[in-house]
Amino acid sequence: MDPIKTEIVVVGAGPGGYAAAFYAADLGKKVILVERDKRLGGVCLNQGCIPSKALLHAAHTITSARESERRGILFAAPSIDVAKLRTWKESILTRLAGGIAQLAKMRGVRVMQGRGYFEDSQTLRVETEQGQQFIKYEHAVIAVGSKAAMPRDFDLGNPRVMTSTQALEVEDIPENLLVIGGGYIGMELGTVYATFGSKVVLIEALDSLLAGADPDLARPIVAYAKKAFKEVRLASRVGKMATSGKQIKVESETDGQKKEELYDRVLIAVGRAPNAEDLGLENTKVSFDEKGFIHVNEKQQTTDPAIYAIGDIAGGVLLAHKATKEGRIAVEVIVGEESAFVDVTIPAVVFTDPEIAWCGLTEAEAKAKGIVVQVSKFPWAASGRALTFDRPEGLTKLIVDPDTERILGVGIVGQGAGELIAEGVLAVEMGATAKDLALAVHPHPTLSETLMEAAEAFYGHATHTLVRRKAE
Amino acid sequence: MDLKLPHLGEGADSGTVVNLFVKEGDTVTKDQPILELENEKAVATIPSIAAGTITQIFVKPGDKIRVGQRILSLGESAAAPSAAKVEVAPVRSRERLIQTPSPQQLPGAPEEEVLEPGSESKPGAVPAAAPSIRKVARELGIDLARVRGSARGGRIVLEDVRAYIQKLQRLAAAPRVAAPGGALAPRPAPEQIDFSKWGPISKAPLSPLREVIARRMAESWTTTPHVTQFDEADITALMALRKKYAAAYEQQGARLTLTSFALKVVVATLQKHPIFNASLDEVAQEIVFKQYYHIGIAVDTDAGLIVPVIRDADKKNVLELSRELEDLAGKARERKVSAEELKGGTFTISNQGGIGGGPFTPIVNKPQVAILGLGRGAMKAVVRDNRIEPRLMLPIGLSYDHRVIDGAAAARFTVDLAQGFESFKEDDVKI
Repeated sequence: MDPIKTEIVVVGAGPGGYAAAFYAADLGKKVILVERDKRLGGVCLNQGCIPSKALLHAAHTITSARESERRGILFAAPSIDVAKLRTWKESILTRLAGGIAQLAKMRGVRVMQGRGYFEDSQTLRVETEQGQQFIKYEHAVIAVGSKAAMPRDFDLGNPRVMTSTQALEVEDIPENLLVIGGGYIGMELGTVYATFGSKVVLIEALDSLLAGADPDLARPIVAYAKKAFKEVRLASRVGKMATSGKQIKVESETDGQKKEELYDRVLIAVGRAPNAEDLGLENTKVSFDEKGFIHVNEKQQTTDPAIYAIGDIAGGVLLAHKATKEGRIAVEVIVGEESAFVDVTIPAVVFTDPEIAWCGLTEAEAKAKGIVVQVSKFPWAASGRALTFDRPEGLTKLIVDPDTERILGVGIVGQGAGELIAEGVLAVEMGATAKDLALAVHPHPTLSETLMEAAEAFYGHATHTLVRRKAE
Repeated sequence: MDLKLPHLGEGADSGTVVNLFVKEGDTVTKDQPILELENEKAVATIPSIAAGTITQIFVKPGDKIRVGQRILSLGESAAAPSAAKVEVAPVRSRERLIQTPSPQQLPGAPEEEVLEPGSESKPGAVPAAAPSIRKVARELGIDLARVRGSARGGRIVLEDVRAYIQKLQRLAAAPRVAAPGGALAPRPAPEQIDFSKWGPISKAPLSPLREVIARRMAESWTTTPHVTQFDEADITALMALRKKYAAAYEQQGARLTLTSFALKVVVATLQKHPIFNASLDEVAQEIVFKQYYHIGIAVDTDAGLIVPVIRDADKKNVLELSRELEDLAGKARERKVSAEELKGGTFTISNQGGIGGGPFTPIVNKPQVAILGLGRGAMKAVVRDNRIEPRLMLPIGLSYDHRVIDGAAAARFTVDLAQGFESFKEDDVKI
């Protein structure tokens, strides 16, 4: 069979891969998008961002109902139909994946379902249901993503030991759930299950939760976890795990104290690993780092001149929107534009309760790098809007260059922080000053005012908070 | 393994292969010279960085090659070529990086032009500019760190980029002759004339050095309003001093020449007239007075004019100056002057006396503002105290940048200069 010729082949149809394929098609390129799963959208759509947010939304209803008690509105205790919840969640995924397929079709992007395997630097073999297909390409973009890491010691072959992928399937609501890992995945899914009624114990090896976030932003989430979870154990280690009837026996250690407990399910949320194996990349000149992420330069070029890599497989922060940006850059470089992943602000959002979001420089990073900054904060307790929905624990802060007054970073914790951070990203990307933010009129009463007031606080005249001018 | 053209030193990223010392199949040792490369600064021998047998050569004499470009492949055994293959990819990407236009390659940012550093960017903070502006800058190959931002907080807006480009264009107003690397400079298309119509001819390619000379001279001539001030200096006594001490200098391994004296006299005169040791910063619209005296000496070589620089001439005695002069001139003739030794001059002396000739009008060596041309000293009938005396007179031509220096200042300079030659102190030459 003659090989199929194309200008660009994209391997992996996640938010990096399909965005790259669509953009390339929009620029007039002939594109084939290869995806091993039946459904397009990658981890983000199928086992990550989207299903977790759907479940978090469902959980939030329960939290809101509970909180409304003190406002004099009472609901009966919720009953959860897990099957229906699952169906609802699935319907969102199906709808979104169908949308991607539709968009591909309209653009003339050929979608090929099957596992891709590089025969050499110019040829991709795809194992489709109809048999092998060979694609001769000019440029390949690898966007195969990552998977939840499962350390060998924990891999009992028992479905009760889950990664985020299985946890998002919501097989049942376990009575006792152990979450291993206090990063954003452990925190988000711990929140979901705790709200649905599981007694959640969270074990984290480090001595803080959400290690990447500034401590003052993480504080409300730590407070939430302490209240909503049965237990949070920091600086702790899980030793052995074993199947024990319908439960999992877990040995752990905190402060030299060993414990042996039984859990109905265990969620392993200790990080993610690249999907680098079984791609035939050894037949190309692509090289890897010691963890298996593909080496790329700022143009997303691998060490093979015909092959680019984007998203999780290329390392760095493993976030969907970073993959999408890299996909666009790879395509621009392929079509000959001067483009590079340089000085790009990638915001981070953790969809806990409350949400936490930041972009640009963090306070901790400034300290570590010796960059002199002034931090300007606005506590949400002073925001009328935050009080109207009973969530005064939020905080908006700006990391400002004291000389140029330029906004170098923004950090927000509080309900809806993930939406609010977008203005912060724009400010950082535009090189806006605190004055720019302070002078722009923000609508009242909204949470966006907290950004304006944090900027005003920098100049010592926020309306709703009294700023003590001190040397930061 | 592949052997690539190594980094050649500041400002030199390419050169022309003059000679290949090896051929395919040759066995070379580490550090063995493999080729000779000529660039605008010098001729350099490129040694092998490893031992092995040459499996393939990718360049030939006459090729222009760039830093990082493959020169040849070395194999140790039959298994080696596969290793060479693996090397290819990183080289490719590096080549691609090299080809990205750098701000220096933009039309008309003259090499010595010091553009303002823009709003001081601090470590950790990139220049403040919207993503759309950064994209434009990347596409145009403009380094935003050099652009001064006008918006709040020093933020760079499109207007600033436009102003910066216009400034580059103004600075590039001088047409460049055969700009190496990219003939981007706007200039009227040169007309090719068939001279063989009128008689037999022969042709020689323009050497890289000649290209540089042509470009620099044209640039200085077209952008600097030149005036040349003529005068004569009585060097009868000076030459007597030279005769008296020549042997002593020779014993010290140095040649006492008129240029040695001229260096001393020029530095003393520059110290009295600092404007002649200055530069015009066209961007800041400022005159930069230099508190150091680095004197360029025009050296006539087989390949053409080279101007090595004697550093801190004010801190050296005539013996030291004589030695350094000879040393640098020798290095220049052998094309072994480093790029560093050609930079930073504050004033230039061109002495044609050794060849002969009267006064002439040298071209100012930008960004300097003045240059002294010395002709051959000749006996002349000079009227002194109403009597005609035979005196040895040195023709002087001082060209200067009239934007910075006025005629009266130049007249004062040459008067003091002539005076310096005429009353050279014996103590200064004694050893």
